[in-house]
This record gives sequence, structure tokens and C-alpha cells, in this order.
Amino acid sequence: MGDYIRYAMKRLGQFVLVVFIGVNLAYVITHATPIDPVEQSISASTSFGNAAPEAIAEMRRSLEELYGLKGSWSEQYLAFWSRVIRGDFGPSMSAFPTPVSSLIARAMPWTIGLLVTSTIITWALGNYLGALAGYHQRSRALKAFGLAAMGLHPVPYYIVALVLLIVFGYVWPILPISGGAAMNMPQGWNWPYVASVLKHSALPALSLILIGLGSWFLGMRSLVSNIITDDHVVYAEIGGVDRRRILRSYVMRNALAPQLTGLAMSLGGIFNGAVITEKVFGYPGVGTLLVDAVYAGDYGLVLGVTTVSIVGVSLGVLIIDLIYPLIDPRVQVD
Amino acid sequence: MKRLKSLLLTASILAAASMASALPGSAQSIPQNIPRKELLILENPEGTIKNAGWFNIWAINAGSQSNGLQQAALDTLWYIDPEKGLDGAWDNSLAAEKPVYNADFTEMRVKLRRGLFWSDGVEFSSADVKATVDLQIKFPNMRFSAVLANNVASVEAPDAETVIFKLKRPNSRFHANFTVRWGAIWILPKHVFEKVEDPTKFDFNKPVSLSAYTLNSFDPDGKWYIWQLREDWQRTSLGRFGKPGPKYLAYVDPGPPDKRVIAQLNHELDVIHDIAPEGMFTLAKQNKATKAWFDGFPYGHPDPTLASVVFNTQNEQLKNRDVRWALTLMIDVKRVMMAAYRGAATISAIAVPPTGVHPEAYHKPMEEWVKGYELDTGKSKIKPYDPGVGKQLADMLRPSMGEAIPSDPAVIANSFGLGWWKRDLKAAGELLERAGYRRQGNQWMTPDGKPFTVKLMVEGDLRPVMTRAGSMIVEQWKEAGVDARVDIAQGTLLTRRAAGDFDAFIGWSVETWGGHNDLSYFMDSWHSAFVAEPGKPQPLRNWQRWKHPELDKLIEQTRQIGFDDPKGIEIGKDYIKLMVNEMPIIPLMSYNVFTAMDHTYWTGFPTKSNPYANPVTNWGNSRYMFVRLKPAN
Repeated sequence: MGDYIRYAMKRLGQFVLVVFIGVNLAYVITHATPIDPVEQSISASTSFGNAAPEAIAEMRRSLEELYGLKGSWSEQYLAFWSRVIRGDFGPSMSAFPTPVSSLIARAMPWTIGLLVTSTIITWALGNYLGALAGYHQRSRALKAFGLAAMGLHPVPYYIVALVLLIVFGYVWPILPISGGAAMNMPQGWNWPYVASVLKHSALPALSLILIGLGSWFLGMRSLVSNIITDDHVVYAEIGGVDRRRILRSYVMRNALAPQLTGLAMSLGGIFNGAVITEKVFGYPGVGTLLVDAVYAGDYGLVLGVTTVSIVGVSLGVLIIDLIYPLIDPRVQVD
Repeated sequence: MKRLKSLLLTASILAAASMASALPGSAQSIPQNIPRKELLILENPEGTIKNAGWFNIWAINAGSQSNGLQQAALDTLWYIDPEKGLDGAWDNSLAAEKPVYNADFTEMRVKLRRGLFWSDGVEFSSADVKATVDLQIKFPNMRFSAVLANNVASVEAPDAETVIFKLKRPNSRFHANFTVRWGAIWILPKHVFEKVEDPTKFDFNKPVSLSAYTLNSFDPDGKWYIWQLREDWQRTSLGRFGKPGPKYLAYVDPGPPDKRVIAQLNHELDVIHDIAPEGMFTLAKQNKATKAWFDGFPYGHPDPTLASVVFNTQNEQLKNRDVRWALTLMIDVKRVMMAAYRGAATISAIAVPPTGVHPEAYHKPMEEWVKGYELDTGKSKIKPYDPGVGKQLADMLRPSMGEAIPSDPAVIANSFGLGWWKRDLKAAGELLERAGYRRQGNQWMTPDGKPFTVKLMVEGDLRPVMTRAGSMIVEQWKEAGVDARVDIAQGTLLTRRAAGDFDAFIGWSVETWGGHNDLSYFMDSWHSAFVAEPGKPQPLRNWQRWKHPELDKLIEQTRQIGFDDPKGIEIGKDYIKLMVNEMPIIPLMSYNVFTAMDHTYWTGFPTKSNPYANPVTNWGNSRYMFVRLKPAN
């Protein structure tokens, strides 16, 4: 137990270090952007209206003060960390004065809902079918599925998304192509709203599943293809152990360990959002928020989303590191 | 294997069941529980709004403007339509008459309409106008604070229908701040804002409206806003023109261009703000109900905005007028038009957009002068203008577009423009030689012996049409021996434009009223007093950082005459001549907006043949469209 605690503390230290370095890198990169948020704001506020040049100069001064861009680099850096520790990323410059944390909190449930569900479905289905295909290598249905998965795997995501959009949005218009739920429907935990959310997420989820399925399927199939030649599997088959038990307990359990790591990384990565999915299907989420923030030079918002993402990925890896020795006895903790 | 088969079977049944359950709802991306015949669905080009519940438009850059807020709910003193307007381009909206200035333009008096009410039943009065000004001067971090603080010494409301602005210095165009082109200083409700401690942190949700619609509901995730016609719509300034047709307006984010086309083909988006020319052609072919500004080619509505090559005249090479003219003569505008708009735009050889009232005031009267304009290259004198370019464009397009291309010369001139500068590489070379440049093989060298390099900044996929124009111009400059390159700025364009960090860019520095011939809207900010030193931020809109004593003289003359003074047009013509001589920007064409209007549920949209309003959905003036729309049978 003492060994495990030492192992866990070491991993925790690595987690803190990764987050610290990651957030610092994000800070430096966002502040190195050539986009000036003040200029973006001035343009958005005045480009279509009449504004005298001297008034613009005045507005520029006001915005610099308002956005907290005055003060030395070190003062701004320290202020940033003191806010981050309190979980406050300050106000968004492109949606001033709304706090960055409010914007992320509003967008995150959509991202988590769509991406967690589709990631888990993709992972479970891909691995299950991959394991079957690796074990029952003569099955025609699985061979056909394998071919389809391999064929679909290299197709760029946006092509698949657009095809789905055209097929189910125009040629056979049975699914909504935009938004997270029906318009003019109050948000709430009631069946009509939940059903509407499910219906609106059908196409984005389907596109993610179709594109994601192939890699899990192919990965699991090759892992299983190797494992079935291992001594313990051959011995079990010779010994007459039930084939379903062999597949479940002797093959899949061994093959799942690396796939679990992949799942944790994928789940951690969802905090980046799925930018293209959100754009193509008009789905609300943090991906669009991040892209818009980059274009607007909204450092605060970019840093907020990036920090959440860094923590998410690192936490995913930490959790898997912590539970790995418990599920795979081959992993040494010392 | 049996389990696999049963799994696949179950999945198929579930998929079919989910499809079947989805069928009654179809692909609907339209508001629920609102009869379609009462609902007009328009695109909000701002897309998804981050802080959807923010309606305080007087805070800087805080929330959406064109989600219906400025088109359906807010109001101000005057509007100038870029087209002909319902009752003339100028509309006294909250004001009862035009502004009245004193002799030296240090005072502006406004007479207001009476009998107009806010949506919460409070009567609009001069106190609201005074509060709009006083509040923004008191709180300097508001959206219009700077412009008001710079101009207004005091504002008085001696009675409910009179407002007197005392100005800090003469300004004959002060009313322009309260005159909607796209937007303006909107009037705020005093009775709401006077109760607010800090107006910069007040979200104004739910907004109290002064125009004919009030907020019905909105998406907290910023995808849609629904506005509802006020029961007392007669008590708003729009009430003068009759009852608006749609009871509900939905401003939605329909997503990328492909989805906008699909949505309109499904009749789920009545008005598309803008799409690529190819999208417009698809809609025109596949949906008989889709109409645009022009009946046929070039379809799009020409905004009073002049797409141009904007030179940085502080650049060592480009400060020379001969070099700028040489680069102009290297361009074949027909190829640029085809690359950018597939031919669907209106060209302009002069620095005024070819739209609204400008062709009658400037383009046609100046045609003879431009035809006769002589350019001395140092070795020869040429007449660079080709009056037949518009017609040549129509002839080029006719074989592929057939009947969509007009044949009547007058219609061609309206649709495609008049003429443009001839591509003349010999004359361009002579101008470069006069500037000290030398040709070495296929490459032009600068006077100090380096390759003549010009980087043309474009926005990339953020503005694909302009990017295509820029790429074609670069190609032509390269053909002519200039080391030209496309400089893709993406989101950095606004920052780099203000910082002067470019050689030239595709964009605009000329924006006009469209429905009025006064050019001060952009010209006043071109005064040399406002030109920044290299490396310092340049205020709007003289992005070319160009100064000229003659231009200053024209600007100062304009400041001394009234807005409607006919002398303004003469000054405008002198400005055009100066711009042709100096070529600080290369005028290309109108900035065409492909606003597609679906007539399946609504008819009566404005068009070139019935130009009573600007249909472009994010313009404040698009509100005039609502009173002419009728449900389709």
C-alpha cells in the first residue's frame, strides 16, 4: 500500500507540473498573438457607424483600461495566476463584461453531453466489434465491416459530416441540421426538451461515431489477432474452455488495457470541443467558443478554454495512471 | 456470432425506429408553436452569440447587435436608406423633421415626434434623447461615450418634443451620429437606465423596445432570437407606414454557407444575409421561390461600400503615385470580377461605390471626364479608360448564363457598371521607369536595385470573395514582372490594418450613405490631421494613410456647408478627380451582398425594380421591409 501511495503522489506531482507548464505555455502563446483585442473591439463597435478619429483614440484608451491591458507584463502575469487559482479567468473581452467562466460553463454541458456519449459509444462498439473480428477471423459480416471501417477511416471528417447533412437534411430531411434543441422550446428537464436535444444531437453524434469507429475497431482487431496466438489462449482452447469465456476473460481483458488509456485520453480531450462538428452542425459548445475567441484576440477566453482542456487531458491521464496498477497487475508501482 | 447478429438486428430496428419517430418533425430547424405564416425567419450574420442574454447595445462590444435588436426593437432620430426608401431615402424616424443647425454649426436643434411609446407603456420624449447623451458622457467606457464627449458641450430638453445640442466646435454633420446607415447611436429608455447604478454592467434583459417589435424569447446559447409584433405597433415610428406583415421575426444562426442553402431549399430560412456567388447560383437554379436584389445576374445587393486595393502610402515604394498607377494598369478587372464574384458584381473606376444614388450623381456625370482623362507616363500620353468593360463582362457571361444576362445597355450599366481602366503593361512600364525602376529579365527592380515586391493582404477564408479577387490581382502583377505575393492575414487583418502593417490589402476605406450623395461619411476621417505616424494606430477609415493638401481643402469646404447643400456634389466630383490622379486606392467594384429571399411564405421583398429598402438582414434599415411584406398565398 505504501508503494502505491508513493506511486500516486509521484503521478500527482507530474500532473501539477504538466498543468503548470501547459498553462504557462498557453499564456505565452495567447499573448504572442498578433491580434489586438482592442482593435477587434473598436472595429466591431464602429466599423458600421460614423465615428470621428479623435473619438476612436479615446475609445482605444478606454478599452485598454477596461480590459486590464495596462500595467507591466509581470503584473499582468501575476494577476492572471492569482485569478486562475481562484478559478476566475476574468471577463471576456469579446463579450465584455461577461465572465469567461460563465461562457465556458454555458457551453461545456453541450460539449460534454455530445462528446462523452459519442466517444463512449464509439469506443465500446469499435472495441467490441474489433475483438469479435480479431477472434472470429472467418466471419464474412465482420470482414465486410472491417473493409467498411478501413474505407471510412481515412475520409476527412468534414466530408462525412457534409454527406450526412445533405442526406438527412435535404435529400431525406428527417433530422434537424442545426442547433442543440428546437427553437422556442424552454430549456428544462422534461421529456419534450430532452427528446429534442437527442434528436438534434443525432447527426453530429452519428458523424463522430462513423469517423471514430474505424480506429478503435482496427486497433482492437490487431491486438486480439496477436493475443489469440498467445500460449494461455491456445492452452485454454485446447483445454475446451467455452469460446465466449475465452474471448471475454482471456482475450478482451488483456487487449483492453491500452484501449482504456486511449479512452481516457479521448475523454480528456473532449474539453477542446469538436470545432468542425460544432461549426458544421451549428451545435453549441466550447469548440466554437474557442475559435471565435482566437479570432477576436480574446486572451482571457482562449486561456480559460485552454486551461480547462489542459486540466481535462492531464486529469484523464492521471486517473488512468492511478487505476492502471489496480486493473493490470503486470504494472509495477515501485 | 448469434449475439453479434442479434446486436446488429437490434441496432437496425432502433435506428429505423428513431428515424420513424423523427419523421413527423421533419428536418425542422424552425421555431415551435408559431404558425409559419406569421413568422419571418432571417439570418443573423453574427452567428452564435456568446453572451446571448445581453441586450445593452450601449456597452462596448458586449452583445449581439443584428440579432433583431437594432432592426426590430431600437430606434433613433433619422434613417438614410442606401436605396430609395419608403418615402424617400431620408426618413425622420423619432425626429419630426430634419436637424436644424445654427449658422456656424455649433448648435443642432431637433424636433421630436409625439405619441410614440416604449413597449412598457412609457411615452418617448426629449428626456430619453438627453439621457442617452448625458449617461454616455458621464460613463466614459460606453460605446458612444467618446464620440459624444468629443462633440457635445451640453444637451438641453426645454420641452418634451425639443432637444438642443450645444456642440464644442462647428460640426455640420453631427446629426450623422444619430442617423442610421447600418447602425447609429440608438436612443435608450431613461426610465430604465436611471435606476441602474453602473450602465456598463447592466444587461438590459428583457429589453424595452421603442420600435414595432418586442422580444418574445431567445436561446441562452445564442443560436436564435424571436421578436413579436407589439400590440401597440401604431405607437412606434414604423407605424406611419402601416402594419408590419410578420407577427414574429426569428433571427437565427443557420451555420456555414452550405447549410444556409439547404435551409432555404427546405424553406426554413426566408432571408439569407449573404452567401458565396456559387450558393446564389444554386438557389436561383433549384428554388424558383428564391429571388435576389437583381432579377437575374448579378443577383446580389451592392452595398454602398467600395471594394478596392488599398495601398499603404507610407510604404517607401507605394508613396509614389506613378507606382500606384502602374500597378493599376497591370490589372484586368474582368478577370478579377470573374475570380471574385464569377462576374456577379458592379465595377467602378472611380472612388465612389456604384450603388444607390451615386451612379446618377457621380458615375454618369463623370463618364465624359473619365473617358477624356489623360495619363502622362513620361514617354507617352494615354487615355487609360475603357468605357466598354461593363458590356464586355455581360458578353463574356452570356454564353454560360444565358437569359440571366441583360442585353439592354442601360440595364447592363446598372448591373455591371460602366467602364474601367485598360490593362496596359507598356504604359505601366513607362510609369515605373519614370519612378526610377528598371526591368531585369522578367522582373521589375526598384531604384535601389532590389526586386520590386508587393504583398497583398487578404483575409483568407474569413472573406473568400475578396481573397479570390486578391489572388487574381497578385497573379496579374506577377505576370507583369512584379514580385507579388498573397499575404493571408485571417483574423489579424483588423489589427494589421490599423497598425499599417501591410503593403496593400483588399478591402475598403470608402463607405457612403448610398441613399445620399454626401461623402463626408468616410471622407471627413481622411483629413491629414488624423493620419498616424508610421507604426502608430490609424483611426478609421483612412487605412491608406494618405494625405494631400487638396483633399484637406475639400474636406474643410464640406465641413462648412450643410448636408443637403448641392455644392456637396461638386466637392464630391473634385474628390473623384483627385483620387483618379493620385490613385491611393484602386477602386474595383461594389461590395455585393448575396441576400437571398425565399418567396414561399412571404412576398413583397425589396428588389432593384422596387428598391424601397435595403434587404440585407443586419442593416438597421431592413426594418422598412417588414411593413411591405405580405403572406404568400
